[in-house]
Amino acid sequence: MATDRTVSTTWNGSLLAGSGVIHEAGSGAFGPLPVSWASRAEEANGKTSPEELIAAAHASCFAMQLSSLLAKADTPADQLETSATVTFQVGEGITKIALTVCGTVPGIDAAMFSAKAAEAKAGCPVSKALAAVPEITLDASLS
Amino acid sequence: MPRIVRIAEVTWEGSIARGGGVATARSSGAFTLPVNNASRIADPDGKTSPEELLAAAHATCFTMSLGSELARAGTPPEHLDVRCTITMDEVEGRGHQIIHSAIEATGVVPGCDEAGFAQAAEAADAGCPFSALIKASATVSVTASLEGI
Repeated sequence: MATDRTVSTTWNGSLLAGSGVIHEAGSGAFGPLPVSWASRAEEANGKTSPEELIAAAHASCFAMQLSSLLAKADTPADQLETSATVTFQVGEGITKIALTVCGTVPGIDAAMFSAKAAEAKAGCPVSKALAAVPEITLDASLS
Repeated sequence: MPRIVRIAEVTWEGSIARGGGVATARSSGAFTLPVNNASRIADPDGKTSPEELLAAAHATCFTMSLGSELARAGTPPEHLDVRCTITMDEVEGRGHQIIHSAIEATGVVPGCDEAGFAQAAEAADAGCPFSALIKASATVSVTASLEGI
């Protein structure tokens, strides 16, 4: 079954001097969130940006995929802490995403956890959608 | 050109089916959001999902690209509205995949006609870093029209 998720934005004025807002998401989970070019390209200053939203999408997709793979291997996770760091080079685009995970997973060894994390990184839908990013790294450890 | 880094973190407790997580915007502190699998693939029930976050990213990225293209063409916008819908589906033999991003843009742009606006939207799609990336697994469609015409 296909799922659709919709978000709308409004921008007023020029790119550099103007500003925008991400309206309340279809789910109702967030928004309105203010955005501006300065907060995207310089200090975040409390405002989110496309790159931070991509980081949140990737970190959450990766966590779900890894949780699913660990359960299938009969070593379900108690807790997974993931992060995604997205690097944006103005004029070039998104050049790197660094994924990290620290897991509390009873009955698994470090080698198997690393293997499952690598499988989750390769297979999660957001990784597949962002496969054109030049470098996606992974750092996996058990707590 | 500056190198910009943005970080988000997720803490997930329990299984994929019954567990859940919280996604936090670490760089800006702009959001802390619950996520779980049921709300991702079925009814959102007030929770966001990776796909909704990508829709927010694409809408925002495209909006900034479009504003930039219109300014470059000598017709800076007064106001732009951009809506993005991301579709995820199960693809035979490949599991869940993000297959489409639909962008709908409208604007109030003094001195710009429909053809100029459509041209700027096409250039924005070509120039938006997110549009370029997501084409690895998804198609991107863009519709653009001026408001009040």
